Amino acid sequence: MGEGRLQMELSQEGPLDSRLYLKGDLIGDGVGEKGDADLREFYLDHSPFPFLDVRLGRQIITWGTGDLIFVNDLFPKDFTSFFVGRNMEYLKVGSDAAKLSIYPGLFSMDIVAIPRFTPSEVPDGERLSFFNPFAGRLSASGERLSAKKPSFTLGSTEIATRIYRDFGSYEAALYGFRGFFKEPAGMDPAEGVLVYPKLSTYGSSLRGPFLGGIGSVEFGYNDSREDRSGSNPLIENSSLKYLLGYERELWSDFTVRAQYFLEQMLDYGEYKATLPAGAPVKSELRHLLFLRLTQFLRYQTLQLSFVGFYSPSDRDGMLNPEVTYKINDRWSATSGANVFFGKKDFTPFGQLTRDDNLYLRLRAGF
Amino acid sequence: MRTLFVAASIAMSLFLSSTSFGMGAEDVVKKSQAAFLYPGKDFKARVMMKLINKDGQERIRELTMLRKNFGEPGGDQKYFMYFHQPADVRDMTFLVWKYPRKDSDRWLFIPAIKLVKRIAANDKRSSFVGSDFSYEDVSGRAVEEDNHSLLREEKYEGKDVYVVKSVPKASESVDFGYKLSWIDKGSFIPWKEEYYDKRGSLSKVFTANEVKPVQGFITVMRRTMKNVQSGHRTEVVYSDVKYNQGLSDSLFTERSLKNLPREISR
Repeated sequence: MGEGRLQMELSQEGPLDSRLYLKGDLIGDGVGEKGDADLREFYLDHSPFPFLDVRLGRQIITWGTGDLIFVNDLFPKDFTSFFVGRNMEYLKVGSDAAKLSIYPGLFSMDIVAIPRFTPSEVPDGERLSFFNPFAGRLSASGERLSAKKPSFTLGSTEIATRIYRDFGSYEAALYGFRGFFKEPAGMDPAEGVLVYPKLSTYGSSLRGPFLGGIGSVEFGYNDSREDRSGSNPLIENSSLKYLLGYERELWSDFTVRAQYFLEQMLDYGEYKATLPAGAPVKSELRHLLFLRLTQFLRYQTLQLSFVGFYSPSDRDGMLNPEVTYKINDRWSATSGANVFFGKKDFTPFGQLTRDDNLYLRLRAGF
Repeated sequence: MRTLFVAASIAMSLFLSSTSFGMGAEDVVKKSQAAFLYPGKDFKARVMMKLINKDGQERIRELTMLRKNFGEPGGDQKYFMYFHQPADVRDMTFLVWKYPRKDSDRWLFIPAIKLVKRIAANDKRSSFVGSDFSYEDVSGRAVEEDNHSLLREEKYEGKDVYVVKSVPKASESVDFGYKLSWIDKGSFIPWKEEYYDKRGSLSKVFTANEVKPVQGFITVMRRTMKNVQSGHRTEVVYSDVKYNQGLSDSLFTERSLKNLPREISR
């Protein structure tokens, strides 16, 4: 692909400690030969009381302890951008939301209401191939994934909460979410489209110093509300998710981050019993290993990095080596590759094995 | 008569040592840290860093820095930094809770993805924002981590100074072999520091280039760290220096990282 992006940012302070913020991209797309605009963020900040911050509008929200692996962060992401080598900032997609951040003292709390559903961007056939569950094979050229969003009603408002506080150097958090899967985790065979089933999640995390680095643990329970018994083969089952993370600076300007993620499908017996004949069988336990190596050189003007995923259970993964050179304070050049591997077409990375890519980015900031 | 002579000679030698070696090397270093890194209850400044390579090409880092002390000099401190320039770090915020006797807690907020990242901080010798200053050069190194000895007293550019040699006790944990400091006898500000590598060659030189009192606190307004081996240097200029503004504890929290208080952005 070839793509040019012009990003503009505007921040305006208003009365009563308020602030209006806007960030938008103008996009020239060399693949589709078209122009486009992307309103990345557009929100109003206001602090009506000393213990309360309010943010209204399109906003990017991130929480949890994972690096590229998300357990309790149910806000929309754009994995397509990550897989094709766009800048990391495009991994997150804004939600049209109202966020209340409350600081009563003993703990802090965020409450987010999202009236209008925004899905995550997943491989959909436009730039990346995908596994077509209706056909039971990888997408053909030109084939598009079609997914139907939940209808926009009062009852479809998503709610996400987080309560967190420090205990010395350790940060603890509790999470709750009620809304929809952000990926199309269900099928509607009557209409031949994928759907976003109802989902609630409950979780917790802890992060702090560990063995000379930073360790973290995160847990999440995914309650797939439209398939609580696990007997509906068209909708993803409930699951438990566990994430362990560890990061350490091994020597000056060289950092290693390792993560282990385990996803356990619940009611696996029901899933196996009701799965249509011939449909690919997912394993009950999905193990995923993650490694990130980062080395800065020459006064941090040169950054070498490597990101790798490998799932021993799905036997798939990806490798992403990257080098960034900061030419000066304005210009930087980044080049890298994404290489996908997998034995099976229906696993997360296995569906992308035809999508290996090299990328080169030039970025100027003013 | 004999006892009197012994007593007199002891008194004489004590007197001699207190003039020529006025205080122990460790006391000098402690006083120097108190004067250089801990003045006031809190501190705020605009900091302009110029990172200059051997060909003279400049990069800049402009930030607002806040510091608050918790307890006595040599004790815990919290730092908050807000980056103004260049574009790729604009609006980033950085929070450090420094404990002299264990690893600091560090958080970096990346505004583009609204991510509060916890930074592993066990290597204090890593470069601070790509400059010649390490994290430890910015926030200090615990006095007990080195063996200090007073080499001599001399004049440095017309000022009376102590020359102190500091040798790390755990040499494997640092990237230098030893350090020499030229510490002002009156203000205890370090005028110059020389870092020697483990082979004994000079590697980095710190100099205080402009010093003036602000609200009664002697403040290094301009400083340079030069890597004599690579030819790269970093010049730092402080402006809008203010002490004892009554900075609230709540400024040094995750809330401020994500939602910058106006008193910092201005």
